[in-house]
Amino acid sequence: MRPAPFDYRAPDTLDEALAVLGDAADDVSVLAGGQSLVPMLNMRIARPDLVLDLGRIAELTGVERRNGVLRIGAMTRQRAVETDPTVRAQLPLLPAALRHVAHLAIRTRGTIGGSLVHADPSAELPAAVAALEGRVELRAAAGARVLALEDFLLGPLMTARAPGELLAAVEIPVPAPGTGWGFAEVASTHGAFALAGAAAVLRLDRPGGVVEHVRLTLLGVAGTPVTPDWVAPALAGRPPAEEALAEVGARLRDTLEPRDDAQVSAAYRRRAAVELAVRVLRDAARRAEGQAP
Amino acid sequence: MPSWVGKSLRRREDPELLTGQARFIADIARPGMLHAVFVRSPRPHARIASIDVSAALAMPGVHAVLTGDDLPEATAPQPCTHLYAGQRETPYHCLAKDRVRYAGEPVAIVVAENGYLAEDAADEVDLELEPLPSVGSAEAALADDAPRIYDDCGWPDNVVGEFRSEMGDVDRAFDEADAVVHERIDIQRLFACPLETRGVVAEWDPYGDELTLWTSSQILHIARDLLAAVMGIAEHRIRVIVPRLGGGFGCKFHFYPEEPATALAARVTGRPVRWVEDRLESFLATVHAREQIVEASMALRADGTITGVKAEILGDMGAALHTVGYGPVWLTSVMMTNAYAIPNARVHARAVITNKTPLGSYRGWGQPQANFVVERLVERAAQQLGIDSVDVRRRSLIPPDRFPYKGLHHVFDSGRYENCLDLALETLDYDGWRARQRELRAAGRHVGIGLSFYVENTALGPSKLLNAGGVQQGGYDISRVRIEPSGDVTVYTGLCDMGQGITNPLAQICADHLGVHPDSVTVVTGDTASCPYTGYGTGASRGATVGGASLMKAAGALRERVAKIAAHMLEASPDDLVIEDGRAWVKGSSSSVVTFADIGRAAYIRPIELPEDVEPGLETTAAFDPPQMAWPYGVNAVVVEVDVDTGLVSFLDYAYAHDCGTVLNPLIVDGQIHGGIAQGIGQALFEQLPYDEAGNPLFGTFMDYSLPTTMEVPRPRLAHQETLSPNIPGGAKGVGEAGAIGSPAAVTAAVEDALSPLGVRISRTPLTPSEIVRLVEEAAARAPERVPA
Repeated sequence: MRPAPFDYRAPDTLDEALAVLGDAADDVSVLAGGQSLVPMLNMRIARPDLVLDLGRIAELTGVERRNGVLRIGAMTRQRAVETDPTVRAQLPLLPAALRHVAHLAIRTRGTIGGSLVHADPSAELPAAVAALEGRVELRAAAGARVLALEDFLLGPLMTARAPGELLAAVEIPVPAPGTGWGFAEVASTHGAFALAGAAAVLRLDRPGGVVEHVRLTLLGVAGTPVTPDWVAPALAGRPPAEEALAEVGARLRDTLEPRDDAQVSAAYRRRAAVELAVRVLRDAARRAEGQAP
Repeated sequence: MPSWVGKSLRRREDPELLTGQARFIADIARPGMLHAVFVRSPRPHARIASIDVSAALAMPGVHAVLTGDDLPEATAPQPCTHLYAGQRETPYHCLAKDRVRYAGEPVAIVVAENGYLAEDAADEVDLELEPLPSVGSAEAALADDAPRIYDDCGWPDNVVGEFRSEMGDVDRAFDEADAVVHERIDIQRLFACPLETRGVVAEWDPYGDELTLWTSSQILHIARDLLAAVMGIAEHRIRVIVPRLGGGFGCKFHFYPEEPATALAARVTGRPVRWVEDRLESFLATVHAREQIVEASMALRADGTITGVKAEILGDMGAALHTVGYGPVWLTSVMMTNAYAIPNARVHARAVITNKTPLGSYRGWGQPQANFVVERLVERAAQQLGIDSVDVRRRSLIPPDRFPYKGLHHVFDSGRYENCLDLALETLDYDGWRARQRELRAAGRHVGIGLSFYVENTALGPSKLLNAGGVQQGGYDISRVRIEPSGDVTVYTGLCDMGQGITNPLAQICADHLGVHPDSVTVVTGDTASCPYTGYGTGASRGATVGGASLMKAAGALRERVAKIAAHMLEASPDDLVIEDGRAWVKGSSSSVVTFADIGRAAYIRPIELPEDVEPGLETTAAFDPPQMAWPYGVNAVVVEVDVDTGLVSFLDYAYAHDCGTVLNPLIVDGQIHGGIAQGIGQALFEQLPYDEAGNPLFGTFMDYSLPTTMEVPRPRLAHQETLSPNIPGGAKGVGEAGAIGSPAAVTAAVEDALSPLGVRISRTPLTPSEIVRLVEEAAARAPERVPA
């Protein structure tokens, strides 16, 4: 469990990093927090020619609010986001999801950008960002582009990041006041990879009223987070009562197509995901009403 | 005399361990040391067509690459210490010759300046294998057309050992039974998985032609003797040192191929060589445990009295017998009456070879399997008879007046089993929980209560029993006690300290029997150069009992010499002395005191002060071989809640009542039980090492091997009772494996009880989230009307 030989660069600025990346003819692995890459290097599953370490680039870290959007630098540690007062106040779903990411020691090293680029189908962060309609900013030597997270995540461990690009930041619109949220997952043990999970945001038109906005994202049931587009029309204009939520559950049961793997069966993932989906919608509705879930 | 035994003295090793000062194998560095890695078979069964090491050997920094062909002619196959009657031999060498029989079997050792270079070079070893037909389960290995894994040894099948035992009239018991229950139980393969993996450092002294081997072992002298036998050198030319161990749990009770292979690498290179097992190899290279299929039946009277038990046990030994033979399978079979006075029993065990990692020791050996089977049958019987399983147990527990009680194989020493059952019920508040369960069930929650009763064989010995059964090891222990010239005390024991805390109760025993403060006692472990020979090694929950009793004898004899010297100095009779806290004085006259420092000075430096008939020096050695084993017992009483949609099990309560005789150090006893329960919960709910039909492993990292964490394991509420063992001076019984034996059965019973309104019946573990949902859906398909809306 020791890596094969590789070259190593650790530039101080994003421009420098992009230049290294642009010049590199060889296979490059970008090192963010290293919580997935380093084990893969040690197991020699990843054998890059060059490891490009972003750890010294100060401009890639930090949380700032601008024009109703929270912008989180890609190299911001997960633990820093989890404990950031602005994030806790305005995007409480995010710290709730992050608390399920492995263990404290791992979140202290792991980064927001690293998790999104790694694109593990069972990861919490991509699902939470998808539920919050987040976008990612990709930078290359030639310029920048912004993609909705759904367009960025292409499949298990696959993203739209081009070889010369780096993920610079994630941008998440701050939900309107009164937006409720829910997050739940099931893992075999605390901190293990999720077997299935769900994130939801939900807003009512008025206290005790009907659903005005809702978004539900599931993780662990496909190669990328799944955000069914029919959930909003199915619930819009209706009170978020148990019956309505059960309808969503029933439709999910008919439409989700998880796969068997060595750990769990497709049937298990479907049943757990449906149950968790209903729970997070219920939690989100309660919070939208100003109640504790 | 104040007693140090029974006090919760804090663990003396903890400051060192908790501040990171402890030195484990991976911390040992020797001048000029090289680093080794192993090339292992990627296939479950193959003929080695060729191994080309030339490219690896040509790489800079590489000192040697050795294969099975490089083993000296005299190298013996890896030996077994447990030679049960009729057990076949499964000869294999520390580096495979000609053929590999499991994925992970070592085929070459690569030695280089550092571990990185060694791994790079290992990548360049060109191993050409011709696959052979292979088999991944014991049942498949028994098929007529199964590949013969030891056809080269002339085996007609894959059965490596077979054992039968019977008592009473079993057929009549079943014919006359009011109720008979039958179960097929599948117990999964898992392993001890200590957080410190294994490791070896080997260093030859070319001048004295002597080998020093640091190894992560629970069997100090046995490792030395086996290494000597394999390498064809005299024992006294080998010194084995066991530094701090980060857990053993039985898997380090074995003699592994990496030990001679690393020693050979050190001899060939003329440099010290270190190998530390990495986490990936540990899943394949360290012995696995537990895996059995058991078909068992129980006969009962209508009132719940158990009258008979039958079991067919099929043990999957993996590709070879590893040190302890098929011992765990044998032990399962003879424990098939558990704690019950069942007059009629018949067991038949078969141990089968498959193309999987060899199976060996893990906390409890074969006992958790037997306990699981018997306790499942008790639950099944209670369901069929419509009575509480607590009452089934109560009716058949061995009563206090029948000890010593002869069972299928063993003689149970002492106990108040029913008292302990009541203590558990009271500790849990069993009736209260049953009432709450009714309420919670009415509210739609799936809450279950489960119990199990266990007995544990500890204090192994006696030597006669072991040797007669084929074990090439003694069952005794030897201790040496020395009072130094300063008056401080050193205890030398052959027991190994693998984190269980053995040095603490030994210091307490020594303090009581010698008359000193435990802080003045240093306990030395883990060095064949100084520690006395120990018959069986540190396993089978025997350290504190057998080792402790030998220490009592040695310390008692030394105290007599101390008394003689002190009496001479005080001009009194030895019988009139009080010896306490490192001082001696005449009873009722404490104005004149002789200290151990005075006595030490006399014994070593000023023998002029000694009485005529006392020799210089202050050191005694004593051995103890128990007349029979000691049998602690206890009850796990568990309350769980099951989420039927996510399959998650959470613990609402966990009570544990037990009796391990005299409690030497309550803090350590509690810790042993906590740890054992955690591992039993791992077996019940989390851990498994699955293989495909051909013997390819379907596991590899902690991503798929799920160990419970502090978040999953409840803090059990413990209750102790003390019934002394008549076989052990002082009355202590062992406790090291206790927690792991009954917990899988109790947790499983609780889960089954939670899901019983849905019609769920459980006969296999682990109860992972996925398995629980499968059970719920399967039960729903069987009886759709039972499913709640």
